[in-house]
Amino acid sequence: MKIVVAYKWAPNPQDAVVATTGEVDLSRAKPAVSEYDPVAFELARRLADATGGEVVGLTVGGPSIDTPLSRKAALSRGLDRLVVVADAELEDADGTRIATVLAAAVRAIGDVDLVLAGDSSIDVAQGQVPLTLAGVLGWLGLAAVSAVTAADGGLVVERSLPGGTTVVAVPTPAVLAATADAVVPRVAGMKDILGAAKKPVEVLDLAALDVPAPGATLATLATAKPAGGERTATIFDGSSPAGAAAQLVGALRQAGAL
Amino acid sequence: MDFGLTDEQQLLLESLDEVLERECPESYIAELDLNHQPPTSFRKAMHEAGFMSLGFPEEYGGTPVDAMTLVLLAARTARQGLNNGYGLELLQAMDIIEFGSEEQKAEVLGLLAAGDVPFALGFTEPGAGSDNAAMATTAVHHDGVVTFNGTKTLITNALQSRYLLLMAKDPSVADPRQAISMYLVPMDAPGITVNRLEKIMWNISDSCEIFLDDVTLPESCLVGVKGNGFKQLMRNFEMERLVIASQCLGLAECAFEDAASYAAQRVQFGKPIGQFQLIQQKLTDMAIKIENMRNFVYKTAWMLDQGVPLKSQGALCKRYCAMAAFEVVDEAMQIFGGVGVTVGTRVSRLWRDVRGHRFGGGTDEIMVHIAGRQIVKDHS
Repeated sequence: MKIVVAYKWAPNPQDAVVATTGEVDLSRAKPAVSEYDPVAFELARRLADATGGEVVGLTVGGPSIDTPLSRKAALSRGLDRLVVVADAELEDADGTRIATVLAAAVRAIGDVDLVLAGDSSIDVAQGQVPLTLAGVLGWLGLAAVSAVTAADGGLVVERSLPGGTTVVAVPTPAVLAATADAVVPRVAGMKDILGAAKKPVEVLDLAALDVPAPGATLATLATAKPAGGERTATIFDGSSPAGAAAQLVGALRQAGAL
Repeated sequence: MDFGLTDEQQLLLESLDEVLERECPESYIAELDLNHQPPTSFRKAMHEAGFMSLGFPEEYGGTPVDAMTLVLLAARTARQGLNNGYGLELLQAMDIIEFGSEEQKAEVLGLLAAGDVPFALGFTEPGAGSDNAAMATTAVHHDGVVTFNGTKTLITNALQSRYLLLMAKDPSVADPRQAISMYLVPMDAPGITVNRLEKIMWNISDSCEIFLDDVTLPESCLVGVKGNGFKQLMRNFEMERLVIASQCLGLAECAFEDAASYAAQRVQFGKPIGQFQLIQQKLTDMAIKIENMRNFVYKTAWMLDQGVPLKSQGALCKRYCAMAAFEVVDEAMQIFGGVGVTVGTRVSRLWRDVRGHRFGGGTDEIMVHIAGRQIVKDHS
């Protein structure tokens, strides 16, 4: 089984500076593999190990995504090889454009059975790219994937949805977006990090991928932080644990939360 | 001069951050400290992530790394607020890897892999410590066995350890430098009694007295060459001093971060106390000391990696970092005021733990003894 992990080289939110206005400044944040993507790396590695397959990392973006550090950071997380599309034209590209380029790269890699991705990117957080990618490829696309195993001729996929858990049979090829807590990703050790420098990397030329020009581009008109919920800051008398619990339940009922 | 980290060091520190975040939050450390328990689950997680075999030769499943990388990891672990959390076990294991028999290597590396502390170092005695010539514990070889008698004290992690790396002397050899040998002694051997010493710091590492009363074992418990024990032990002393200095750096950084954050939030007389120049002066001097410590540690690690003879450098580095770290943590506690001494405040634990590094691994004064002699010798 050939598995592609589509991931983003994104700013590390630990370095974010939050202004008093609520505006988040990531301009000085060091880049890293986007926080939710290591889950996809881990799911892919386990599936490939179980099926004897190959895991190919794939990332697209501006020129800054392709550095020796970014390559090693991804390749140390269980990839067999890496494919990169880095082009100035893709700097700050919107999700639809990124998905279109990813689709072209997946086709260029060839014979791909499965694309795995994280739930969303840590900086944009729209969660749009994996399913747009599925649409562009014309493949089945599923989000909220909490587990995936190989089955005869396809996959068995568990999804964690607001209404409960669903287990579905999924034919390949497919695109799956994993939940942030689907698995605990392994930590890259020194051997993985040293070994990463020896793994193959292929750089694809954007122009050669022949990606259709975007039909439309987005222009951000305004941004605002989410409205904060109203907080009542109620303090209950805790002298009697049972009494405090009863007060809490009563307050939650009154607020319509129960 | 390049102060940057290599890609590999950056990535390894990011991996360590992941392990620390998952397996070593402040709540975990505080509970260990409160209950006087060792960080076994953290050590196990560190092993699973490959950190507990860094520096070991590849034939023993390790990954060789330079001293700079090891001190970066030791300092980062300490910056989490965990004292003696990483580094020292590796140095001990190196003694066995370098000098032990195949059976001893397999046993020690296996324990390390399980997250256990393989052995405690049985060196200090009631009448001997830095003055190793005064060592009184004896090892008498006879009829294919060796019999030990004596008392060790202030032995760190004795209760957690399966073995004691015992330093004992042959009473028939006059020259103390040729009399001391190294032995790997099971802690449950008949004749060994352990008494825990209650102390006010280093709660996650027990400290014990160990009484050896006619403990008799096969001679195969000898580590390395008979009579070379002290020389073997000295092999890793320079690195041990450097790891301790790195820990001091990390613990000081942790206290500094806490104090600076507190100063920015604690309001008195209508404004955060960090806006008062007396507090700013403290923070500024703390930052200078931390910067000095970092440069001292990195330079010393660089010298080791370049094969430059350390001479007095290790002792100078250990003395400066232990003392400067305590000054930083002490000022951090001052910034916290009364809150700083309440149980459960991290800075109070850091203050206790850093204090121990002014004598653990060699006192401030012994560092003067080592460095001072060397300085005079270099100028004679």
